[in-house]
Amino acid sequence: MKKNTKRIIFHIDVNSAFLSWEAVYRLQQGETLDLRTIPSVVGGDPKSRRGIVLAKSIPAKHYKIQTGETLYAALEKCPHLKIVSPSYGLYVRCSNAMVEILKEYSPIVQRFSADECFLDYTGMEPHFGEPEAAARRIKNHIYRELGFTVNIGISTNKLLAKMASDFKKPDQVHTLFPWEIPKKMWPLPVEELFMVGRATVPKLHKMRIFTIGDLANYDPVHIRHRLKSHGIMIWQYANGIEDSAVRGGNAIEMKGIGNSTTIAFDVEDRKTAHKILLSLTETVAMRLRDAGYCCRLVAISIKNSDFYTYSHQRKLLAATDATGRIYQTVREIFDEVWQGEKIRHLGVRVSDFCSNEFFQHSLFDEADLEKTRALDQTIDRIRLKYGTKSVMRASFLYSDIKPLSGGVGQDDFPPMSSIL
Amino acid sequence: MKVVRKPIDVSAIFYQEGVIVPIKFRIQKSDESWVVVKVDRVIAKELEKLAGNKMWVFTCESTIGDMQRLYQLKYELDTCQWMLFKI
Repeated sequence: MKKNTKRIIFHIDVNSAFLSWEAVYRLQQGETLDLRTIPSVVGGDPKSRRGIVLAKSIPAKHYKIQTGETLYAALEKCPHLKIVSPSYGLYVRCSNAMVEILKEYSPIVQRFSADECFLDYTGMEPHFGEPEAAARRIKNHIYRELGFTVNIGISTNKLLAKMASDFKKPDQVHTLFPWEIPKKMWPLPVEELFMVGRATVPKLHKMRIFTIGDLANYDPVHIRHRLKSHGIMIWQYANGIEDSAVRGGNAIEMKGIGNSTTIAFDVEDRKTAHKILLSLTETVAMRLRDAGYCCRLVAISIKNSDFYTYSHQRKLLAATDATGRIYQTVREIFDEVWQGEKIRHLGVRVSDFCSNEFFQHSLFDEADLEKTRALDQTIDRIRLKYGTKSVMRASFLYSDIKPLSGGVGQDDFPPMSSIL
Repeated sequence: MKVVRKPIDVSAIFYQEGVIVPIKFRIQKSDESWVVVKVDRVIAKELEKLAGNKMWVFTCESTIGDMQRLYQLKYELDTCQWMLFKI
């Protein structure tokens, strides 16, 4: 057998994922209208005014509707826009079904997000043929069986494969091998490069870097001076240098847990704000205990009705995973920073983890620490068994505020990541 | 055949081997009376996995009134619900 030293990596990316999944599901249920053929978006609920565009159809793109903008802004651009609320359960099922199919072609599949996967095709040529033919076969297999289209990028590492799948959509297979970089990747504007975002682009433009090629041919010493280690990373990316493995699991060590919510009305009084913070803390603390961690840092963020965001954090004296203790700190730091203006969005976040198996007690701990932990554990177990609404704090009665808030309600929903 | 997607009650045999065969179904008309249709022949069956949602699609034939009609029944594995999909 030929010795294969070069890796072959596929990046599979679902075309307008949430929208095509929603469209295919509706067609299967007998709807005659295909959402993909009309201006339509998936996202939020226009009635409760919260919500942004999560995915858009290609006809919606012609109205210059952008992912991430508010539904209000989108409707202004296209008044007859069709809006459908997201159903995460369906997306998880679609994503799982796709991973199932991919695993027929290679044992090493990494789910990068709900709609993106990496597949290590190295050494699979004897089974499914040349990479391009195999990619086309996978793409058609997914379309035939699951009804939605994907783009597949092929290269020798994850970064280039990901760049390749982004070239022309939909339903395409592209290659971006190292020798194709100057022709296919360098002419692109620098903001198209993975990890070059809103904050980096103006800095690069100031350095007269406008295309990926400009960045690739820049002096790395100079870039490190300006942009530190991140600069070196994007310089390497621009040159196609990246060698992370396709990880079977997507388990990266957690660094923080947070939840936030946009409130359906403007919060003006302290009491209501505290209740919302408590409902967020409930979710965050449950997730923290579920992950088996204690936290040593608590942070909150506030977005006011002028869309101005600010945050505040505090280091704890001792690590904790108790809802009560976290909430106490949350309340304190909220009271310290809140200026009394109208609030639109609140967030709670914990980080600086240590294991919850053994940890240092503080002299100033409450005496009934063990009791509190037992109580939290019991509540978690009841909620797990009988649903999150089975036990709630009495303060939420008649308050119109959900006793737990934040999150998409689907724990196994794969999050977005900036780490390849 | 045209898409109608009406929910229906179904009698079916679930064989030991995991094979499902619809025997008869009933459907409610607009005046709330029921019509029972015996499935004369299952012409084709296919497992549809669109959007990752598994549904058995049965293409069947029956004599309805005095006409031979071709139609499609769908059985959703997740919800155990049947529908008259196309007729």
